[in-house]
Amino acid sequence: MTKIRLPTPLRPYAEGRVEVEVEGASVGAALEELTRQYPGLRPHLYADGGGLRAYVNVFRNEDDVRTLQGEATPLRDADRLLIVPSIAGGAGSATRPVDYSALRTNQALIISLVILGFVTDQPWIAAAVGVVMLLGSLLGRPGFILVYRGLRAAGLVRPDPVRDHAQPHVFAQGFGGAVLGVAWLSLVAGTPTLGWALAWVVVGLAALNLFGGFCVGCAMYYWFHRLRIPGFRVPPPPGAIPGRRPPAEA
Amino acid sequence: MTLRIDPAALDHIRRHGEESYPKEGAGFLLGRDHDGDRVAVRALPQANRAPEASQSRRYEIGPEDVMATENEAEKAGLEVLGIYHSHPDHPPIPSATDLETALPWYSYVITSIDRGRANQSRSWRLSEDRRELFEEDLDVAPPGSLEN
Repeated sequence: MTKIRLPTPLRPYAEGRVEVEVEGASVGAALEELTRQYPGLRPHLYADGGGLRAYVNVFRNEDDVRTLQGEATPLRDADRLLIVPSIAGGAGSATRPVDYSALRTNQALIISLVILGFVTDQPWIAAAVGVVMLLGSLLGRPGFILVYRGLRAAGLVRPDPVRDHAQPHVFAQGFGGAVLGVAWLSLVAGTPTLGWALAWVVVGLAALNLFGGFCVGCAMYYWFHRLRIPGFRVPPPPGAIPGRRPPAEA
Repeated sequence: MTLRIDPAALDHIRRHGEESYPKEGAGFLLGRDHDGDRVAVRALPQANRAPEASQSRRYEIGPEDVMATENEAEKAGLEVLGIYHSHPDHPPIPSATDLETALPWYSYVITSIDRGRANQSRSWRLSEDRRELFEEDLDVAPPGSLEN
């Protein structure tokens, strides 16, 4: 049997116990047994994707198991496990500088290239824009960031940093890229009207953002957050209207 | 839910925030819990272990400090009720970082420090589904009304 000591904030999930005795040949097995006995502990110990939460530390006697063999660290009967949180937080990274100038350059390129594809009847151009947008979102940045950097280096655009969340913009771009993907599929499947209509939806949304200052994809992100859909973790910055540029911080 | 706090402890928290400005100052709140209603009698400042450059927007307290404080609280017959920290030039409202890193049960007292002066203090707790930090009442107990 191994004794596991719980920190104060987790004790209510284990009937108020300070220590719990479990069987287990390894740290992972002991924690598994602990959360089997007290399932309420699980969400506070493990992150959504499995694996211990970043701020949960497990010590075998004096040693952080991350410096040993992690969850595979073996346990003997006399060993004691301590679950100790590290504490963190702060006002800070709620928002970070998001370069709205890079976003606008991105929107302008999306609009012009998709229209170019439509005018010349070249579906591959719309598809390529969709791929660039999706890749950009996977990397967490505007798809046409390299073009923006070139324009900035040439002194043609100037940075416009705004404290904001980056995730909604990443989502908005990914959503647009996905719609262009469906548009391309419709075009090659022989339904050009639907295909180009979808491509024009993307053009319209990008234009609404570029000229009207309203990011529909960002607003959707915050609505999904309000509906508690998993993955949409961030609420709008204080005082911000979802989809609109957040007010400057005091 | 209510957090009643000894005025000297609250004063300690606010002074720590002012002294740490423009960086964040953080520490523990010690006291007693009675089925969710709490009485905090002592504030225990801690070193901010976040990387130096980020300390104006972030705080960290290491596991060794948590362990030491739990032992100290136990010896004094108290409990670690929660964490306090300051938000320099920022409202005393939990940020996404605060939510991401919050532990259940703890009370999180946040004090805004505006241009170096302590302003409002508010207290928050993590909801059971971990989706939000909800506000609890923060009452200052009259001096001498709390047994220590």
